[in-house]
Amino acid sequence: MREQQLQDILRHMPAGVATLQGPELRYGFVNEAMQSVLGSPITEGQSVMEQPGIIPADLLEVMQQVYQRGQPYVAKAYCLPITTAPDTPATQRYYDVALEPVREGGGPVSGLLLFAMDVTGQEEARQRTHELAIETRRLDTRLRVLTETVPQITFTVDAEGTYEYVSPQWYYFTGQPPMTDLNAIWPLLIHPDDRLRVLYQTEAARSAGVGWSYEYRLRRHDGQYRWMLSRALPELHAPDKPVFWHGALTEIHDQRELSEALRRGEAELRFLADSIPELIWTATAEGFIDYYNKYSGEYSGLTGEELGPAGWISLLAPTEQAGAARRWIHSIATGESYEGLYRMRRHDGRYRWHIIRARQLTDARGLRWFGACTDVDDQHRLRQVLQTQYDELARTNRDLDTFVYTASHDLKQPLLNLRGLFDELRRSASFDDPQEAEIITMVDDALHQLELTLQDLAATVQDQRGLSAPAEPLDLRSVTEEVLLGLRTQVQESGAVLELDFEQAPTLTYGRANLRSILHNLLSNALKFAHPERVPHVLLRSIPADSGNPLLIVQDNGRGMVLPEEPALVFQPFTRQHPQIGGAGVGMYLVQRIISSRGGHLEVASVVDEGTTFTIHWFDALTA
Amino acid sequence: MIHIIYISRAVRPLSDQDLQSLLAQCRRDNERHNVTGVLFYSHGNIAQLIEGEQEILDPLFERIAQDGRHSNVNKLISKPINARSFPDWSMAFHPLENSGFETLQGFLLPAHIMPPPSSLTIADAMLLDLVKLAVFGAEPVATEPTQQ
Repeated sequence: MREQQLQDILRHMPAGVATLQGPELRYGFVNEAMQSVLGSPITEGQSVMEQPGIIPADLLEVMQQVYQRGQPYVAKAYCLPITTAPDTPATQRYYDVALEPVREGGGPVSGLLLFAMDVTGQEEARQRTHELAIETRRLDTRLRVLTETVPQITFTVDAEGTYEYVSPQWYYFTGQPPMTDLNAIWPLLIHPDDRLRVLYQTEAARSAGVGWSYEYRLRRHDGQYRWMLSRALPELHAPDKPVFWHGALTEIHDQRELSEALRRGEAELRFLADSIPELIWTATAEGFIDYYNKYSGEYSGLTGEELGPAGWISLLAPTEQAGAARRWIHSIATGESYEGLYRMRRHDGRYRWHIIRARQLTDARGLRWFGACTDVDDQHRLRQVLQTQYDELARTNRDLDTFVYTASHDLKQPLLNLRGLFDELRRSASFDDPQEAEIITMVDDALHQLELTLQDLAATVQDQRGLSAPAEPLDLRSVTEEVLLGLRTQVQESGAVLELDFEQAPTLTYGRANLRSILHNLLSNALKFAHPERVPHVLLRSIPADSGNPLLIVQDNGRGMVLPEEPALVFQPFTRQHPQIGGAGVGMYLVQRIISSRGGHLEVASVVDEGTTFTIHWFDALTA
Repeated sequence: MIHIIYISRAVRPLSDQDLQSLLAQCRRDNERHNVTGVLFYSHGNIAQLIEGEQEILDPLFERIAQDGRHSNVNKLISKPINARSFPDWSMAFHPLENSGFETLQGFLLPAHIMPPPSSLTIADAMLLDLVKLAVFGAEPVATEPTQQ
């Protein structure tokens, strides 16, 4: 009964148990676990040697030796290839294989007890641990190489604030011997002015359980204090329970000196800008003002905050704001320098003339605009007075010319009448006195003299006006562009769009000065009398008329004007269509005079608030 | 009533899908709070003008500034206004795919943006033009009349 129980226990044991009998090692008892290890079915009484199954040759040899020598043997973590299913590849399993010689009744060895304990799990765990240890060593080496080759000094501080590790760079930097007591020496190497602060900040960060980042001066091996950046982060083993702080010290001396120099330079420049009695400002690449100097605030009575990125526009005279804004946007879009003459409101509400100039600078810190507003009010007022006087003189001069021309022209007819009458008198009356004949000759001479004088006078005035300049073939486009160059400021200020269409009649045979004068008057009028609520649009078109003679049409979208009943009388000297806009009122009169003196005529059509169209008929008769 | 103008940079380029949902989201939120304005977007550049009551706009701008979809938020101006200049809410950008966007309410192609309305001061109108320039870049238009 007990024998049976024992057999059952052995049969169901999780470890493999088998007995091998006799020198041939024949299978005796083989339990289930051993059966599954050996795989192939085992027949009792069969020799292991004849049917080794999965048992390798070296184990067979060991079995024989154990039998012969009678000494037990245990093979730890012995690898056996196990096939679980017929067609699957064998897997490696590990067994502790124990071989125990069996002696019956103290006699010689009669067999072997074979135990096989599956230790695959333990073995694999052991191998993993081994691999992990290798990996850890590798990472450790890498970390050490890295910490010892980076230029920074790395360190570890424990929870008590004691330096536990510092990389060799610390020793190179400080020149301290390797045996130095870190915790005693380190604080002494900190610049006396920084020491207390550093110790306090470190202590505060440690007690708060947070990292730190601060700068201080550390003494180098040569005795020089160098600026260092110390940064560290806590290593948390449990939440809010830092155990170590790991950190690095970076030498930032040069950067700090540089930024210090930059700061100093910038402060000096700012001081300079603030000391100049001019409005100075800078703007970003996008055109937003980001700095106004002190004087800007004093002049405008507004803070930089109140002025804002575009507020300077609102300081200008209301009529000049739109043009100034358009120019600034144009400068930002193209990078062209900005320049303009504007009236700028002072804190007391008075406007003073300023030249506003801005240029862009591109450097390592990107693109920026630098601007200045220079007060030119006094110069400008002086110039205006001079200009007014000059205009007055020029007008008087022109009036005088016109008077002389008209007078010489108007006196011609009475002179002709006088000569006719005198000739008639000479023919019909007889003079006996020889002295009278002399008088007749003298009168004749005097009349001739008067005629010449009048002719000379007319010719002189005509010459001065260029009315008599010889005609030459002119390229309309190039003359127009020359004229526009002179009007560039007005064109830019108003943002006017000009359309030139000279395709159909590109050349004109005319006096150059005359053509320039005509174009200048018509174009400057179109810009001057632009409609305040829209961008000026001026069209110039040169076409051949039905008669074959060329025509020039100048059309604008300006204010327009009321035309009198009789179109021929529109342009009398000193007549002004728009008294609110500056001008002497002789421009169009002259244009008309030039055109008619060269054998053409001027037509005008206009609608108030819509625009005006001038049509120049260069020649009324067919040109030869 | 106040208006606020700011510019910012998108954290990553916005796709047509992103822009469309942003348009829908803004229209919905802004309609509820009676906020109007215009948003410009191009190549990661963002600019927006919003107008409405100060009690609404100040916290709205706080939220906008915190939005993780953009950074470098630069508030250019925040000041009282007399009247709205943008009666509706709209958004202008170049879609990658041209189909479909034209029909969306509130969408504009950058070329179709109207010049700043005259209800804005000239300084504010210039600021809006500068902002537009900063977002979309210079248009290839010859401004010199003598160059044709």
